[in-house]
Amino acid sequence: MNTFVEIDHVDKIFNLPYGGKYIALKNIELKVNQGEFISLIGHSGCGKSTLLNIIAGLDQATIGGVTLEGREVREPGPDRMVIFQNYSLLPWLTVEGNIALAVDEVHQDLSLGERQKIIAEHIDLVGLRRAAKKLPGQLSGGMKQRVAIARALATRPKLLLLDEPFGALDALTRGNLQEQLMKICNEHKITCVMVTHDVDEALLLSDRIVMLTNGPEAHIGQILEVSIPRPRQRLEVVEHPSYYNLRNQMIYFLNQQKLAKQRQKQTISPVLISTNQLEKVHLQIGYLPITQAAPLIIAQEKGFFAECGLQVNLIPEKNWQDIAQSVASGKLDAAQMVAGMPLAMTLGAMGKTPTPMVTAMTLSRNGSAITLSQELWANGVRNAADLEKTVNTDLDKTYTLGVVHPASMQNLLLRYWLAASGIEPDQDVRLIVIPPDEMVDFIQERKVDGYCVSEPWNTCAVEQDLGFIMLPTSDIWQGHVDKILGVTEDWSQQYPQTHLALVKSLLAACEYCDDIRNESEIISLISQPQYIGDHHVNLRSELLESYQSNYHRHSQTSHQFYLHQANYPNRHEMLWILTQLARWGFIAFPKNWVEIIDRVCRPDIFGVAAREVGILDIGREESIQLFDGKTFNPSQPLEYLTGLAIKSQVRVEEALV
Amino acid sequence: MAVGVTNQKVSTKRQKAIKTINKFLVHKVLPPLCGLVIFLMLWQLLCSIPGFQLPGPLETFVETWDPFIIKPFFDNGDSDKGLGWQILTSLGRVGLGFSLATIVGVFLGILIGANRFLYNAVDPIFQVLRTIPPLAWLPISLAAFQQANPSAIFVIFITSIWPILINTTVGVQNIPQDYVNVARVLRLRQGKYFLKIVFPATVPYIFTGLRIGIGLSWLAIVAAEMLVGGVGIGSFIWDAYNTTTDTNLSEIIVALIYVGIVGLMLDRTVAFIADKIVQKEQK
Repeated sequence: MNTFVEIDHVDKIFNLPYGGKYIALKNIELKVNQGEFISLIGHSGCGKSTLLNIIAGLDQATIGGVTLEGREVREPGPDRMVIFQNYSLLPWLTVEGNIALAVDEVHQDLSLGERQKIIAEHIDLVGLRRAAKKLPGQLSGGMKQRVAIARALATRPKLLLLDEPFGALDALTRGNLQEQLMKICNEHKITCVMVTHDVDEALLLSDRIVMLTNGPEAHIGQILEVSIPRPRQRLEVVEHPSYYNLRNQMIYFLNQQKLAKQRQKQTISPVLISTNQLEKVHLQIGYLPITQAAPLIIAQEKGFFAECGLQVNLIPEKNWQDIAQSVASGKLDAAQMVAGMPLAMTLGAMGKTPTPMVTAMTLSRNGSAITLSQELWANGVRNAADLEKTVNTDLDKTYTLGVVHPASMQNLLLRYWLAASGIEPDQDVRLIVIPPDEMVDFIQERKVDGYCVSEPWNTCAVEQDLGFIMLPTSDIWQGHVDKILGVTEDWSQQYPQTHLALVKSLLAACEYCDDIRNESEIISLISQPQYIGDHHVNLRSELLESYQSNYHRHSQTSHQFYLHQANYPNRHEMLWILTQLARWGFIAFPKNWVEIIDRVCRPDIFGVAAREVGILDIGREESIQLFDGKTFNPSQPLEYLTGLAIKSQVRVEEALV
Repeated sequence: MAVGVTNQKVSTKRQKAIKTINKFLVHKVLPPLCGLVIFLMLWQLLCSIPGFQLPGPLETFVETWDPFIIKPFFDNGDSDKGLGWQILTSLGRVGLGFSLATIVGVFLGILIGANRFLYNAVDPIFQVLRTIPPLAWLPISLAAFQQANPSAIFVIFITSIWPILINTTVGVQNIPQDYVNVARVLRLRQGKYFLKIVFPATVPYIFTGLRIGIGLSWLAIVAAEMLVGGVGIGSFIWDAYNTTTDTNLSEIIVALIYVGIVGLMLDRTVAFIADKIVQKEQK
């Protein structure tokens, strides 16, 4: 179906007195098809009515916008009729008069007779013939809302917007009106967006239910598809097999949001405190000596940390486990981390003690590759199918592949790629965790037959004729998140301004790193012996050449540090990582995933920092599609997970954090 | 049998009616009557103090019985007319001045209320003008019009226009957002918007202004007429004061009572009309 209404990255920011700002809506993206019935549901104050008003044109989005049939919505108009909760009938006009006011204005081109016909038709449609001459004051609430519906429909709108239309009515009247509305919408194929807080109402009427998280910075938490066939009957709907499952999902979501709200109240929202004093100046920041550490090294060397008032000690660590440990114990204030680490630490993956973590920034994207040994090259392995054949023919030998950390993208993407090629990562091959800088030694000593690691260790192996690059990870997922900035939740709450300053300084450093003019300078800076050393460090083009020299097909492998909104901490990516961690049994998939993602992934902190340095804080929440063409629907992570063929035993549990 | 039932019904209905009437008498008629009697008695007692100049109620009643009470419409030419004529003349002036004030006040009020800049521009001026006591306008209007009657009417106009104007302005500024939203969604044209939304929505405020305005104009007319002379209840009081007949004080007292009753009636009439016109939901 074609997109009828598009809500495109809508932000709504209210200016408060005394110069403050309240971000009501953040990055709302939704496409509505023609004839579809959408419900917006969420706790009061989550901005659902604001969103409806933005669609109606009664309110303006601060960032982003709404289009109806490809045209931008700038002001209210009769093609988007609104039905208000308080009916908004004009008390000095009769039922007929109220409808006539709308019809006369909208259908000016029609003759008086035709207009009167439309009015009469719609009065009959809602069964108010006998009350046509009455004033609204003489009508009951239900009748008034029927007049409002008739008035709205009489203008023949393209889109009907309903703001808690039945909220003030008693149960019996509500039920009747819901059925009438449903009938009218079905018969006239009207596209509707309705705000409600009634779970059953939403299920009865909607094709899709959009659930919003709490404000501030409310966003779409989950979208439920209601696949109950139409026409629906009130009493039959509840008997549909999916009804209670859907209902439970909604109730669960709303309960989770309620809990989150209570937690929000307990901890003072750190971002809103507007003292610009840094709580902590001397920071210990951990990193691993890889090319992707460039933003941290540049921030130190080019003084971006100092510009933001921070004095930083960059601590090189041996491996990712040490980083996780040091951050959890408080030895490090913050660290470069593999993308899945905050989630894994928060959930206590693999039996470790859970440490709630926060990531407010992506440091780099792409920049890793799968390298296989020369031996495999000699055996004729050129692609995934060859590898699958080799692995499954030679049953005597178990091929061993190295990864850097279970929660790293290197592990998750390698596993994804293996599984997509028909190789079961936990049975057909053996995966072992090796520190990145030992990978080359391992392949030299033939302890592994290949690995997936960040640069420069792929190029190193190629240079030393130890292996060949099978494919860069960007060929598995172009622009995937790879390294992120991680801090503990406690730290983030204790030092909110420092956290902001850190994100700001790293944003500046990332921008510097992605400027092609700085490339040689950056390479010489990060190749210094105290950082990475002279290991053929490359940021982009040379790397590409070395891939091609190994008979590999052309591919885009560049590191992404800043461009294409690379730094936005993307909730959908985190959710994908969550599904993969659960897929391979590192964690149980948390039933309350919306809450977990919201806690760990903090675009709100990123947003404050980004706005303060004057760049756009909206990010890339586009749909995720990997090389095999499978699309990840962030509203249905469990369905995605169960739809994957190769996986270990997936558990679903509620995570208590 | 059927007849008996009907009779019974009728009789219970009648009983109910009698009960309501009784209730009305006990709660609404009896107490004010008591109050009035006590007031008159106190007045009479006060006047029995030796040397007290004012006439008592009985004296007043007797002295003004003929012609002022029984012949309200006698006419001996010039300004020697019955109280009925005097009051009608005053009412005529008020009616004219007040009508003008209503038309101009509502029109300007809607205009000013709808335009933020205009409001900011003229509001301070209005705030100053509205505090000027009615009579202070009289010399200027006499100088401008050179005649008694138009001057009095102008004083009424200028006195009653401010509450009407200011209330209308406030009304326009406080149109419920719901109605405005309806107009915005329908993209009502300017003229229709004012006629179908702004004006009806402002009606309750306009009536508040009208009630204050009519009260003020009745206050002003008496004072204005005292100064400009001619026929009218104000000049009647002033003339009675300036003549030295024995009954002049009684005449003044009767005139005052008339003025009070007419003022009350004016106020109640406007309130009654407002009650009929303004929708319940707008109150």
